[in-house]
Amino acid sequence: MSFTVNLRDVTLKYGDADALADVDLTLEAGKIYGLLGRNGAGKTSLLSLIAAFRRPTGGDVLVGGEPVWENAPVVSRVALVREGGDFDDADTVKDVLASGELRPSFDPDYAAKLADKFELPLKKKVRELSRGKRSVLAAVTGLAARAELTMFDEVHLGMDAPTRDAFYKELLAEYMDRPHTVVLSTHLIDEVANYLEEVVIVDRGRVLVHQPVETLQGRGATLTGAADRVDELTEGLELLAEQRLGGTKSATVAALDADLRARAAAAGVEIGPVGLQDLFIHLTNPDRNGA
Amino acid sequence: MSDLSLAARRYRLGLGMFTEGVKYFAGWIVAAVVLAFLVPFIIGQWADVSQSGWYHAANVGKICTAIVGGGFLYTMMPTMIAQGVTRRELATATGLFGLLWSAALGLVAIAGFLVEHAYYGLLDWTQGIDQDTPLPLESYGHAFEFAAHYPLVFALYFTGGALVSAAIYRSDSGWLVLIPVIPIGLALDDLLSSSEPWGPGWMVRFVTGLADDVDPWIGAVLTAAFIVLGAWITRRLILDSAIRAKQA
Repeated sequence: MSFTVNLRDVTLKYGDADALADVDLTLEAGKIYGLLGRNGAGKTSLLSLIAAFRRPTGGDVLVGGEPVWENAPVVSRVALVREGGDFDDADTVKDVLASGELRPSFDPDYAAKLADKFELPLKKKVRELSRGKRSVLAAVTGLAARAELTMFDEVHLGMDAPTRDAFYKELLAEYMDRPHTVVLSTHLIDEVANYLEEVVIVDRGRVLVHQPVETLQGRGATLTGAADRVDELTEGLELLAEQRLGGTKSATVAALDADLRARAAAAGVEIGPVGLQDLFIHLTNPDRNGA
Repeated sequence: MSDLSLAARRYRLGLGMFTEGVKYFAGWIVAAVVLAFLVPFIIGQWADVSQSGWYHAANVGKICTAIVGGGFLYTMMPTMIAQGVTRRELATATGLFGLLWSAALGLVAIAGFLVEHAYYGLLDWTQGIDQDTPLPLESYGHAFEFAAHYPLVFALYFTGGALVSAAIYRSDSGWLVLIPVIPIGLALDDLLSSSEPWGPGWMVRFVTGLADDVDPWIGAVLTAAFIVLGAWITRRLILDSAIRAKQA
């Protein structure tokens, strides 16, 4: 079993300010989602509602078809791992892993295996861990929770590149072994792009985009070829990025219709996919959205 | 099977909080016992001992209990919710923890007074409560009668600590709840006890006079009512609390 998520007309206010407004969102069960947004866009607020860390000011939050708030059979199978984890700093790493057994689905053997793999010092207190090791501990608790819905909110911050890579691979292996719903909230977009099935972009408290990665990336394209031909093809189009090396130019456009695709092919210009990060920057550009 | 274990989770959690609390403070409790018995022994080498050392240790235990009630709840609120525990479960677990902690520490306090009575008797000292009007505990019965309220008074302090902690977690201005909780708690403690208020002079002056000439049984009933009301308010605060955002 893996959990669906449904948010219906959800609003969250901090005082008078809207952190989230009129959010309608459905996440299907058993997929890996990327949650993207600029700082302060509302990503963490959204995840906090789904994990019942907070109660919405208005609207309904359903997980597995049921209201999530104070629903023990549901929240015990939902894991939200925040940056640095939610630990008692006076506890040892071993204590933290043992406390995972409050969840019916927690796998202590898997936790021990991951602790060994990521070289977590079991006897050290949490407050003695480096930022990277603390992040690893948080990631391990999330993976070993074996939850039906697991959400990682910037959990990889502080991890070095090899550790992040190992974490992504472990996450994918765990997902393949036991399909469940995963949400990755991150600013390292291109690093996780290959793992994602769908992307949700939150901007200023609203869901701006929710699409499969391929569909989103299909919105635009990167045209590479002779500079004059690329310039001719992209004249009048919105450019997300451009690079030039000698007589060769690469231009990323936000939209690519069939006619342009045909003309590019005829002109010998290569058409490549657009980077998710470039699209994200373009879509959340305040100038574009009238901010 | 998993649903069965989920149903019992709040009680396992409360029991776990109690055992972890005892383990965490075991060293402090042992130190208090040793000091309460050792210091009078040292003083006894030069002067007559007429004060109960255990009385001071037991009273320090009240403050310690308030800190335990508040500290555990404040620390465990985000960690337990992050482990998929509901606020209702956490509230029930905290209540069970408070009952077990107060009962256990209360029994230690009572046992301490009785053992101290035997200890002082062996050394021919007077077990007395040092205050403006000294209160000698002249028999085991008298010592027990004096100490019998400690389980209830520990529950009072635990509830006060948990209530303040829940209010502060709920809201930045939650510390304002200290304004009614401290004087009410101290006054009830004074009502329960047959001794004069214990603590710093300014605090003693603050509550002295509030509780004169009141039957201790009335004090017990009022304290029980405060504990029930305080526990209910604490539960409401827990149920209504959002988990705080993490600081960068």
